[in-house]
Amino acid sequence: MKANARTQGRRKLNWTPYLLILPSLIYLALFFGWPMVQGLILAVREEDVFLTLHVEAQQNSPVAGQLSRGTQVSILERQGNLIPPNELGETNLITEVWFQIRGTDEAGEEIQGWVPETRIRVRESDADGAPIVGSIRTRIGSDDPFTQIRDEPNAEAEMVGRFEAGASVEILDQAILEVWYLIRAEADGQMVEGWAPSRYIQVFGDVTQGRIDRGDTGQFTTKYIQRMVNDRFFMPALRTTLLIIVLVIPIQFVLAIIMALVIQADLKGSGLFLYIFSIAIGVSDLAVGILWYSIFTQFGYLNSILQGLGLIDAPITYLSANTRHWIIIAVCLAEVWRATALVMVIVVAGMQAISREVLEAAEVFGATLWQRVRYIILPLLRPSLQVALILRTILAFQVFAVVIVLGGGDIVTVLANETYRQYYDLRNFNVAAAYAIFILVLSMISALFYLRAVRTQEETIE
Amino acid sequence: MTNANGTPSKVVQVSPEVQAIHRRLKRNQQMTRAFTYLVGILISLWVLIPILFIASMALTTPAEVRSYPKSILPFTPLSTYTLSFFLGSRGIIPGIRNSIVVAVITLVLSIVISAPAGYALSRFVFRGKDVFRLSILAVRAFPIVVLSIPLAVVFLRTGIYDSLFSLALMHTALALPTTILVLSSVFSSIPYELEEAALVFGCSPVQAFRHVVLPLVLPGIAASAIFTFVLSWNEVFAATILTIQNRTLPAQVLVTLNQSSEPYQFAGGFFMMIPALIFIFFIRRYLFNMWGQVTK
Repeated sequence: MKANARTQGRRKLNWTPYLLILPSLIYLALFFGWPMVQGLILAVREEDVFLTLHVEAQQNSPVAGQLSRGTQVSILERQGNLIPPNELGETNLITEVWFQIRGTDEAGEEIQGWVPETRIRVRESDADGAPIVGSIRTRIGSDDPFTQIRDEPNAEAEMVGRFEAGASVEILDQAILEVWYLIRAEADGQMVEGWAPSRYIQVFGDVTQGRIDRGDTGQFTTKYIQRMVNDRFFMPALRTTLLIIVLVIPIQFVLAIIMALVIQADLKGSGLFLYIFSIAIGVSDLAVGILWYSIFTQFGYLNSILQGLGLIDAPITYLSANTRHWIIIAVCLAEVWRATALVMVIVVAGMQAISREVLEAAEVFGATLWQRVRYIILPLLRPSLQVALILRTILAFQVFAVVIVLGGGDIVTVLANETYRQYYDLRNFNVAAAYAIFILVLSMISALFYLRAVRTQEETIE
Repeated sequence: MTNANGTPSKVVQVSPEVQAIHRRLKRNQQMTRAFTYLVGILISLWVLIPILFIASMALTTPAEVRSYPKSILPFTPLSTYTLSFFLGSRGIIPGIRNSIVVAVITLVLSIVISAPAGYALSRFVFRGKDVFRLSILAVRAFPIVVLSIPLAVVFLRTGIYDSLFSLALMHTALALPTTILVLSSVFSSIPYELEEAALVFGCSPVQAFRHVVLPLVLPGIAASAIFTFVLSWNEVFAATILTIQNRTLPAQVLVTLNQSSEPYQFAGGFFMMIPALIFIFFIRRYLFNMWGQVTK
């Protein structure tokens, strides 16, 4: 024992456990923490609202001012900057590529210089895909059939020679240029002038006028949350979700406790009961939706049975726009069928922790089954029930496929379905994220509510 | 009842009143037993009859699926036509293959990442252990819906959208908290003394783990792996959001739901249930390890 205590003591200073939990910590931070933050940002932040102008045509030069998206601007000047090719990964980057080429012109003179990429048809490239040999493109619609070669990669540089269309050239180097504009526009009654990369500006035909297409700085906004709240499906979805929770959870808990009592009764074949009761834990909500659809559809089992018993003459339509209440009943039944198993497992695990002696003593003293449940089992089960309530409520906020299958997604809708609609049908990522965050907030509020409710109960008992 | 000498014990000579109470208790007990059986059977029927319905729909002819009123007798006529029609539909076989690929990647990733953490939780005392365990419990309760949207946007930006691997990454995130908790309780069920004995006899910690602990925890790890497989196989929201071309089976069935016929839907519903029906049988005892951990 002493040795054991010593090893325990030594283990406290040990780095091993931290190394062992490190991978899962990293994983959860990467795929839980980070997406959660991203989701929040998507919901409350509008990207690219403002464009920052710089004093010089460089990203790290001082800021000259900000213009909001859509501002009409006049373009004063244009400048090309060399940028390293590895920065080209950025999307929508408008760049110019210039090739340094060498070739022999008509006069037989060898010329070396720079031309824009658009003038060269690349004939061959090396293993890395870099062009090495090319030919001059035919010039269409221009008076001058020759292509001018310059000594630097920009259109204003000095000309060093000319090539005829079709002349084959050797490509020595390429320069990648980022184009910047010096723009001027009015913002809040003030004239702002500065440099901005061309990818943010949509240039009109005359090349002196333009419009800010996209910004590079975001701002916080309640726009998406407002759009979510004002959506015509928002209130119905919230109401239906809450209604399902209120209807389903009490039934589930009663049923789960009964199931747990059956399993804990030490009957022969309790293993079989356990298997049957917990089947639903492994069935997907989509399959459960289809299963209950087969019962509630017009020519389904429910009508077949009712007609077989002579209770109805013609099949009743349950799942239609006029019978919303039937859809909700079907969804609730499907949810009870599917998710009670989870509660049952938690309750059974809790019951296993209740000592046999206590229950036997109660039985010997003549407590009825109801009394045992009410005064011994339920109070001792409180922690388990609390966890089950939290889990079940949070899962119920996400009910999705069952509702889609039984309600078609329009007639009866829930919050998760609206998240899906905003993302998938409307491609509105920000509003979808707002819905997701709303579900998260509701889940957290309900969890806190259960935690508090149970604690106050304990305090009153003390 | 007899005592050690084989002579009748004195317990028999109790007063008639006590005997009456005894009989009443015994009768009560039998009544309770019978009642419990009845309740158990009723609940079993509630669970099984819908499954029987969908199974008999999937294993019959499309004509019978469309007929009304349906015969209450299941599996008449018995036919694999509906099921093979479903399996032959466009996107179903690739969907099944995708589902299996995603589930297997998820299973391997989550076991590899969570086994060390589970071992650390069960064997070591360290600062921050309770915080870690609590945050795992909290993370398990987080909504899938909340994760899917931002992850989809992030995957779109980083160019790994619509790939089976990125879906598996997401499913691993969902499965990880549960696998960590179940593996920690599986490791806890193996007495540390066994490992210690191996160390005393000259094994290195790694050898002790490999030769003593691993064989004992393998069934628990297998149960956890099966659970992860089923979780990934069933997951529909994230699968629909994160994939377009490479749809998993549930995602494929969901997006084609409106355009599909009833035989297709019923066969699909039944087919998706099969793994649950098989696997839950093998892991039913481990369910308590997975979900029963209320407090430490």
